[in-house]
Amino acid sequence: MSDTAVAHEAPTSTGIDHKKLIMWLFLASDCMFFGTLISTHLLYRKLYPAGFTDAEGHQRFIQNLFNIELTSFSTFILLMSSFLMALAVSAMHKGQIKSFRRNVLGVIFFGLIFLGCQVFEFTHFYHEGLTIQNSVLGSTFYVLTGTHGTHVAIGVLWLILMYFYSFTGKLGGHMGALDVEVAGLYWHFVDIVWIIIFTAVYLVEYLGPNGFWGTGLPAVTK
Amino acid sequence: MSHSSEAAPSPAFLAEETRRYHHFITLALWLAVITGAEIVLIFLPVPMPVVLTVLTLMSVGKFFAVILWFMHLIYDKRLLLWIFVAALALVCATFAGLLALLSADRIDTKWFS
Repeated sequence: MSDTAVAHEAPTSTGIDHKKLIMWLFLASDCMFFGTLISTHLLYRKLYPAGFTDAEGHQRFIQNLFNIELTSFSTFILLMSSFLMALAVSAMHKGQIKSFRRNVLGVIFFGLIFLGCQVFEFTHFYHEGLTIQNSVLGSTFYVLTGTHGTHVAIGVLWLILMYFYSFTGKLGGHMGALDVEVAGLYWHFVDIVWIIIFTAVYLVEYLGPNGFWGTGLPAVTK
Repeated sequence: MSHSSEAAPSPAFLAEETRRYHHFITLALWLAVITGAEIVLIFLPVPMPVVLTVLTLMSVGKFFAVILWFMHLIYDKRLLLWIFVAALALVCATFAGLLALLSADRIDTKWFS
C-alpha cells in the first residue's frame, strides 16, 4: 500500500472508504455468482459433450459454430476498455476532468462494440439452431454469457450517466474520484470475468480435433 | 489514492499517479500480447495437457494482473485483497464440490428417498 493511498482517506474504522468497501464486497459475491455459472457450464460440458440438435434434427457441435476471430476481437476490445477505464480513474484522481471524459467515452464505445459482437453472436447461434431450450449446452452457454453481457450493459449505462453527470460540475474532488473509482472497479470486474469465460468456454473447444470435451460419439475404429 | 475536494493534488501524489499511468500502459500491452499468444497456442501442434496448462496459467496471470494493477489492489488496503481471495477460495471449493458430486460413478439414491 502506498503512502499516498492513506494520506487523505475518510475516517472509517477499516481505513477504507465505505463505497469502495461495499463495492468490493459486492464484487466478491458476484465472483461467487459467476464462479457457479462457469462451474455449471464446465461440468455440464463434461457430462453432455454431444453439443445440440438443430431444427432439422442434425447433430451439431459447438466447435463448428464458434467464431474465434470474432470472440478474440471482442476480448481484445474489452481488455482495452479496461485499460481506458484505468486511465479515466487516474485522470479523475489528478482532477483532469476533460481527460476523464475522453477516456470514459472510449470505454463506453468499446463496451457498445462488445455488446454488438455478443448480439451478433447470439443471433448467429440462434439461426444455426442453438437455443436456450433445445440443449444443456444452449442453456448453460446463454445463461453464462448472457449474464455477463447484462453486466456489461449495466456498466455502459452507469458510465453514460457518469459522463453526463460530469457536466453538472458535481463530479469533482475526493467524492467524485471515489465514485469514478467504484465504477471502474465494476468495469474491471466485468473484464476479468470475461478473461475466464474466454478461456474456459471458448478456447478449450479448440483443443484437439474434437475439442477438449470430445463429441460424445463412440470412437470410429478402422 | 484520493485527494480532498479543496486541495490541489500534491506533487508527490501526481508523481505516483504518473508512475501508475506507465504501469497501466505496460500492462495493457502485455494483456494484448498474452491474448494473442493464447489464440496462436490453440492452433499449434502441441499436446493438449500442455496447451491446457499454459492457457490456464495465462488466464490466471491476466486475471490477477487486472485485479492487482487496474483494480488497485496492489496499492490498496490488504483487507480488500483478502475479501476477494476469500470469494475466489469459495468459488474453487464450489467447483471442486460440484466436480466430485457430478463425477461420482454411482450415487446411492436411498439417501434422497
